[in-house]
Amino acid sequence: MSEENKVYTIFDRPAGLRFVGLLQMAFGLFGLIASIGIVGAILIGGPSILDGMGYIYSVLIFVGVALPCLIIGNYVDDLRKNAVTAQVIYSLMAMGLTGFFIAVRGLHYIWTVPLFETEIVVAIGNLAALILVSQAFIILYLILNWHRVVPPDDVEVVRDRKEAKQIEMGLVPSPLSPTLMGSDGTTELSDEDSQRIMDVHKVVSVGGMAVLCSNCNGATPLSKAKDNKLQCDYCGVTLGVGNVFVPCKNHSEYLAATTCAVCGDHFCRKCLTAQTPPIDDRWTASTIFMCQTCFEGRYRPAVTTTSFVIPIDQLFSTAGARFATVGKIYRRFLGAYGGVLKAIFGWPLALLGSFGKKDDDGKRRGGGGGWGGGNLDLSGLGSSGGDADACVGIILMIVIIIIAIPIIAGILMAVGALVFIPLLFYAGLIAVTFEAVKVIRRTDFQSLDSVRIQSVVEKKQPKAKQSTLRPYTRTWEEDFFAQSLERRREERKREEERRRRRGERTRAESFWGGGRGY
Amino acid sequence: MSSAHSMIMCPVCGGQVIIENTDKVNLCSYCASPILGPDQSRNCTNHPDILATEVCHVCGDLICGECTEKRVGDYGGKLLTIVNCSKESCIAASEWARPLNEEYQSLANMDWADKSDNFILRITGIGAVVMMVFELVFILGMLYLQYFTSHSALLPKILFSGDIVIILMVLGNILAAILLQTSLQVYVHERQLVSGAILLVMLIVEVAYLLWRGLYFNLLFLEDPLFLTVLLLALLFGTLLVFVGSLGAIYVGNKKRVQMKNARKQLNLSIQHEIERL
Ligand SMILES: [Zn+2]
Ligand SMILES: [Zn+2]
Ligand SMILES: [Zn+2]
Ligand SMILES: [Zn+2]
Ligand SMILES: [Zn+2]
Ligand SMILES: [Zn+2]
Repeated sequence: MSEENKVYTIFDRPAGLRFVGLLQMAFGLFGLIASIGIVGAILIGGPSILDGMGYIYSVLIFVGVALPCLIIGNYVDDLRKNAVTAQVIYSLMAMGLTGFFIAVRGLHYIWTVPLFETEIVVAIGNLAALILVSQAFIILYLILNWHRVVPPDDVEVVRDRKEAKQIEMGLVPSPLSPTLMGSDGTTELSDEDSQRIMDVHKVVSVGGMAVLCSNCNGATPLSKAKDNKLQCDYCGVTLGVGNVFVPCKNHSEYLAATTCAVCGDHFCRKCLTAQTPPIDDRWTASTIFMCQTCFEGRYRPAVTTTSFVIPIDQLFSTAGARFATVGKIYRRFLGAYGGVLKAIFGWPLALLGSFGKKDDDGKRRGGGGGWGGGNLDLSGLGSSGGDADACVGIILMIVIIIIAIPIIAGILMAVGALVFIPLLFYAGLIAVTFEAVKVIRRTDFQSLDSVRIQSVVEKKQPKAKQSTLRPYTRTWEEDFFAQSLERRREERKREEERRRRRGERTRAESFWGGGRGY
Repeated sequence: MSSAHSMIMCPVCGGQVIIENTDKVNLCSYCASPILGPDQSRNCTNHPDILATEVCHVCGDLICGECTEKRVGDYGGKLLTIVNCSKESCIAASEWARPLNEEYQSLANMDWADKSDNFILRITGIGAVVMMVFELVFILGMLYLQYFTSHSALLPKILFSGDIVIILMVLGNILAAILLQTSLQVYVHERQLVSGAILLVMLIVEVAYLLWRGLYFNLLFLEDPLFLTVLLLALLFGTLLVFVGSLGAIYVGNKKRVQMKNARKQLNLSIQHEIERL
């Protein structure tokens, strides 16, 4: 989906970004297994290929592959600029390393790893090529889709799934309870009373323009309004008189309830739909109201357009600024990376240490305590040396569990995929067809009026979600978004320039001032 | 006059309105729609004899058309229209939003096309949905013929029975899905012309591919000709709708293209002009 476009919630992330995250996590897991596997292999009786370098290899793979892949993979699909930048840099480094490796060792380089009685052949050269190609794709994808995978600085991204879900659902926001209200506007009416009110045929009386009740949908003539307040003829609640005395654009017999937030025209409750507002601190209301034309993307605001041409020099300077920020972000990333490293690095050692102690003492020890700082020192590992066999056994078990579980899961998933992917494909096509029918029949436009009846009849807050095909019809929103981003960036640059000049001036003044003082 | 316990409801959302200003606009405490104060005059603040039509988003004054300035602002990616009065402070506070170019707006107005666009969307949309359903049923029918009837002897294969049938049918499904996606694009003003043309080409490809598949799968030799008859009728129906729709889209889309070209020319907004200015 050229989707998708502006990014507000975690659900707005492109599927490709999701895939990048999962792929990266998979590499991380693979690296973790490999580094643990090497340690295991050394303990069983190291294969000659490792020649004492085994621990170093293991640590290198852990620090260079497992940790960064798991950390970056975990964050990269959360629409975070730093994580995406880190991913690009990491992928570049990985490409450099694997490319160098292939150049030195060739594509057909193979490792034979002894495992128990048998041997596994690992086509390291091919593996390197796979990494090289996949990382290149990741970089290409991230850079080509930069606007979609990195939200602008000043837009808040909702990562909390529950909150995001609410926004995504676009539940029709209304503080009214789903049942009909009594005349005081707060007590709920009994079913029979509601039924009686809903049964009244609500026509406009001859008194001219009428106001549609937000409680029962009844139309009461505006001429009955007193002090800009109106008692509904049907259910008796007191309605404020909203907005100004303009009839609905589509129904001259009804007073407009409010203006459409997009086109600014006046509409009644039959012609408006409600949506959750954009996340922006300047928009304080809980709801935006939209007419059908704007909902369908038929109206395109024509703002004053003066420039269709982007000057080339400007383009270069923004590119330069981006490189500078990349450097800044990388420094920040290195700092955070170091911090995480310190915290996580101790963990496997602590685990080993606690196993050793458990055997020494012959007592059960709570494993939980080992996470703190106390058990992290390396001497814990040394103390377990006497019972090394038991320790090796446990490590082997861990290795087998860690390797076996992903393999079994992988086989199960592969078998399942053979059956499920075609089914999902077929189901997806049916879903697309349904969405298309919804758009063609306009059933995804729900007016305030019809939603109110629905809530009174069904006695629950109605959901109204626009068809997922709708955003395709509002192409200009995307264009404008990109334009305004560009503008904001420029403004920020100008502001910076101004600040810099101001700084220079004060420095110069104080210099002259100091000179005069002498 | 209303009893003390009665609450004033927002006429838009039904939320409670707390009246703080008796002679100025109050905002619904929930949806922020403006609600008139009980003593407020309904006329423009600057022109006491003209009925107001708007409310200033900054100061909340009622204003008439003459005092109104419309702007378009970007709120977190959504383009919304706001209105401010002609007071200097209100103009300054709205400066971040761009003034609506009313001249361009009226020249670019495409309301005239609403009726025909609705018609075109329905026609092409229904046609494309028919084609899609057609493909979805076709693949099921072919799977049935392949694995449950004697017709499978007449079906081609490479490695295992049904491989070619499945691949060709899945391709057909994808083609129909793209056709459906394109058919919805005819509703977007600036994509109408292009999507209409693409639709026409894709329709020809889809129909040719379908007929070829029918021949390749030897459907002419089916024992029961009902399946084939239903398929052909559905195909004819869908094709006709999409064909008419795409021709309409091309016609209306071209009219819009000419209108936009003229509007830009009239307002000197052409790219050429910008380059010369630089
Ligand atoms: Zn009522
Ligand atoms: Zn509108
Ligand atoms: Zn209306
Ligand atoms: Zn309200
Ligand atoms: Zn104002
Ligand atoms: Zn005025």
